[in-house]
This record gives sequence, C-alpha cells and structure tokens, in this order.
Amino acid sequence: MLTKGERMSITTSSHAVVGTPLRPLRRGRDNAILGGVCGGFATRLGIKERNIRVIFALLTLVFGLGILLYMTFWLVLTRSGEESSIIQRIFQNRREARFVLIAFIATLILIIALETTGTGASDGFGWPLLLSAFAAFAVWRGASTDERIHLTDFFNTTPVIGGAFSKSRKGILVRILLGAALVYFGLHTLNHIGGFWGQTGSAIFGTAVLVVGVLVLFAPWWLQNVRELTSERRERVRIEERASMVAHLHDSVLQTLTLIERAAANQSDVVRLARNQERELRQWLFSPDTVTNASTSFVGLVGAIEHDVENDYGVRVELVTVGDCVPDDRVTALVAAGREAAINAAKWSEAASVSIFTEVEPASISVFVRDRGVGFDLDAISADRQGIALSIRQRMSNLGGEAFINTAVGSGTEVQLVMPRSQ
Amino acid sequence: MTDSVKPRVFLVDDHELIRSGIRAEIAGSVDIVGEADEVEAAIEMIQERTPDVVLLDVHMPDGGGQAVLRAVLEHDTTTRFLALSVSDASTDVISVIRAGARGYVTKNISGPDLVDAIYRIAAGDVVFSPRLAGFVLDAFSTGTDDQPAVTVDPDLDQLTARERQVLRLIARGYSYKDIAKELTISTKTVESHVSSVLRKLQLSSRYQLSHWASERHLN
Repeated sequence: MLTKGERMSITTSSHAVVGTPLRPLRRGRDNAILGGVCGGFATRLGIKERNIRVIFALLTLVFGLGILLYMTFWLVLTRSGEESSIIQRIFQNRREARFVLIAFIATLILIIALETTGTGASDGFGWPLLLSAFAAFAVWRGASTDERIHLTDFFNTTPVIGGAFSKSRKGILVRILLGAALVYFGLHTLNHIGGFWGQTGSAIFGTAVLVVGVLVLFAPWWLQNVRELTSERRERVRIEERASMVAHLHDSVLQTLTLIERAAANQSDVVRLARNQERELRQWLFSPDTVTNASTSFVGLVGAIEHDVENDYGVRVELVTVGDCVPDDRVTALVAAGREAAINAAKWSEAASVSIFTEVEPASISVFVRDRGVGFDLDAISADRQGIALSIRQRMSNLGGEAFINTAVGSGTEVQLVMPRSQ
Repeated sequence: MTDSVKPRVFLVDDHELIRSGIRAEIAGSVDIVGEADEVEAAIEMIQERTPDVVLLDVHMPDGGGQAVLRAVLEHDTTTRFLALSVSDASTDVISVIRAGARGYVTKNISGPDLVDAIYRIAAGDVVFSPRLAGFVLDAFSTGTDDQPAVTVDPDLDQLTARERQVLRLIARGYSYKDIAKELTISTKTVESHVSSVLRKLQLSSRYQLSHWASERHLN
C-alpha cells in the first residue's frame, strides 16, 4: 500500500478532458493499481493519477490517515462498471454481514485493549492501521469475482509479496526473512518503550492473553467458515468432473451408438464401430496415461497398431503387452516392423483375428505377431514380396535386431521380432 | 465331447441380456442348472444346486463376483468358477483369480471357445486367456530399476523359466496343443505348469499381488 507513490500508473490515463462535466465518482478499473480509489478521483477531478497518489502517500505520514481514507473509499465507492459498492454487497448478504460485523467488533476490542494498556498506540499509528487491516479484510470478503482476480494478480506479480505466497524454495526464504525482520523490529520497538523486563514483559504477556482470548472467542466460528468454503470447493470439483465425464461419454459413446443405429444394415460396419468404441472406452477407463502419451510410450505406439489394423482391415486384434518403455530409434523401428507384420496378417492370412504380444525386458524388446490363417511358403514368395524383406527384415537388422518368420501353408504365420535395447 | 457327461453350469450375471446371450450360445453343449442376478441369491442357489462350473460376472452390486467366490468356497471347494468380465483392468483380473476363480475370459469370447473353456474348467484345468497370461507375467516380472521385485518365498513368489515360457506362448495366442508341440512336451505337462502358476498366483505374498489385493480390500 505504501508503494502507491512510487508505482506509477501503468495505464494510459483516462481522466476527464478539461471542460467536460464532472463524472460520477467511481473507483477506477482501467487505471487501478490496487483498489482504483486514486484512479477514480483522478477521473472525477481531471487530475493526473500520480498527483492523487502522492497526496494519499503524504497523508499516510499523518498517523496513517492516508491508508485509512483509502480503505474507507475502497469500501464505500462503487467500482466503475459494477452495480454496488463493497459495503453494500456485504450488507446484502446476511451471513457475510454477520461475518464482517464480528470481525469489526473484534478489531474494536483489540484497539480498546491496546489503547488502555498503552501499547502500540503511543505514536498514533496503532488504530488507523488496525482499522485499515479490518477494512482490507472486508474488501476481500465483499469484492466481486472480477476484482478478486485483479487483486490476486496484483499480489502474485508484486515482487516480495507474490514470492512470499508461492510455495517454492525462494518463496519460503522470502517469508522467513520477512518474518524475522518483523519480529526483530517488533522486539526492538517494545524494548524502546521501556526495558524488556520492565513494561515490555507485561505488555507481551498482555498481548498474548489478548490473542488467546480472541482465538477462543472466534476460532470455532472461523474454522466452520473455512470448512464451509472447503466443502463448497469440493462440491464444485465433483460437478466439474462429472461434467467432463458426461462430455466424454457424449462425444464418444453416444455418437458411436447413433452411427451403429444408422449402419444397422451392414453387419461388418456395426462390428467395426462397436469394437472401435469398446477399445477407446477401455483405454479411457483403464490406462488413461497411454491415451494421452501415445508418443512417449511403447505400449501407446503398439496400441495405435491395434487401432489402425482393426479399423482398416476389419480384423480383430488381440493385444497383450508386458512392460513398457520410452520409445527411441530402435523402438520406433521395431514398432514399424511389427505394424507391417500385423498388416500383412490382416491382409493375406484370411484369419478373423491377429494376436500381438509384446514384452519389454531389461536387455531386449520382443514383438510377436501371430495369426491362425492360411500361411504361405516363405521360399516361394519372398522374392517379389517387398513387405517382408524390406519393411520387416531390413528395418530390424539395420539397428541390430532380428526377425524370424514361422509359417507353412495351412498352419498360420508367426512373425517374431527381437530388438536389443539401447543402453 | 458328446459322449462325456455334460457339465452342470450355473450362470451369475446382473445383466439379463448378457445372461440370455450366453445361455443361447452354450445351452446345447452344457446343462444349465440355474442362474442368478444378484450376489445373495447366487450364493444360496449355488450351495443348493452344487453345479460343476459357475460362470461368474466380476462386476456386480454388493461385492461382485469376489463376494460369491468367498462365500461359496468357504464351505465347498468342489465347485469351480470361471470368471467372465468386460473389464480389462489387471487389478480386477488378478483379484478374482486370487479369490479362487480357476480361469478368466472376457465376455466377447466366441460361443465355441466359451464351451471349450467350461469343459476344461470342469475337468479340473485352468483357463488362462492371453491377456491374463500377460498380466501374470507383468505381476511376476523380475522388477525394474525403480521398483525391484521383493520376494519372501522363492517357491511361491517366482515363476520357473518353463512356466514363464508357457505363459509367453499363451500370451502369443498359442493353444495348449500348440504349446506342447512347440516345447516338445505333453499337453498334460503344459496343464500342470499352468496349474502351478495359478497356485502361485493365489498363494504368493509377492508385493505386486498383495498390493492389488489390499487395494481391493481383499485381505
């Protein structure tokens, strides 16, 4: 708050042009740093924001009057573009009004207690600061969501304060330094009043008793309030989760069901659609990480083969995976070879299903692609079939892997791929 | 199959459509002695009718298939269970096997395959689908760098090299007959390997397994 004077207006001033009629006194929105009080006055009076801010800063030197005035205006003035002032908003809500009123009474008790013991009020700064603190509390309770966002942004971007609220190591350091400095100055001031073991001792004791008293009075009610806020937040999270689930089901399952109804005459289409949806839903339910990370997981890549082969060739793929790893060049080549083998099986074997089994071991990764289809004579066909020679054998041997093909006419085919892992 | 006695089968599933679908597919080959759509009724009727094989849905209200398994197997260990599910979550599969099921197949299994599985269960065999074999290999894997395997009882907590080989072949889509040919052993030996894997699966206190079980409040 005290930095108002130095933190110069970061916005282009929107103050009145000389000669135009006076505008209503509203707290500024575009030219606000904190609450927009100075900006509001600037607009109203047609003066530069900087001058108003200097005046408030100077007034602060007089018993903290500037701050108190600022906070009062913040509460009473309506923010530009809004319907009601913060104080009005507080009193519109009974629970909120009670809450703030109790806080106000607590502040008054604290002030009176401090006045009578003569602590802190001796230099005249005590009660204006306490009242301002109360006002800040009221502002936070009554601010509109929009203003709250503005304030949160403001505190998060303020160098020291923003850092103190973060949970990083730096934030903790800032907090410790700040706290230690405050404790030191507090003790120093108290000591100044009159010898630590003289009046100061009793003053500290008195303050401690006071704090405990206030805690006993207000803690249960405060806790309840916090709890209400938490349960409210939890409820909101639950509703959001449900909403995203509904959205997913609508986008996937419901759409597919419609497609199935429309394709009812074509049996193979119905099977393909249902199978597709089944696979997608399964993945969403049981292995959500591989859905989002198809590119960072070997299993995700193999899952893509299952998807494509079933979609393009209408052949069911039984995929079983053991272990997973992060893909590198070798893994990519292995998956590409496996894909070629699966497509070959789907295209030529005439089998209704293809089994793919993958296992990631410490030293190597294996992929087995098997069908129980017609099989073929390896020697007779390898010369003119580029698929096996190039896409499978060569891909594997280029990177140190091996490919074996087990087949005979009438007894199905199994392609075995083994790739050593990069160390 | 025709001259052997038809196994007596009991059906437990809370979805009428699924039950009627399964009934239509297997009714000719097996003897269906009853069906139930909820846990409590299932327990009572199974105890009363003592079927050879119970086709058990994993997911049902009031405890699901596991509740039925535990309640029935507590008094009578002759009834054999084949778990049927649409689920693919390894936790579900492993938990239901640990609770006492002797096999696990998914509901999209074809009619003849399901009948075959029922006959094998009735004969005392174990039915491992490729997917279940994959899950078991995963659960008994030798561990990774960040999560080394902790074994307490090596007899129960580790698979032998042969068992591992058999499981891999099942996962690759081989039938028991294919496996026997590939490893040049008899089909009976394949079956005994699979049974011993099932025993380890049910009795082992291996971390991965008991972790799954405790997650499901099985212990």
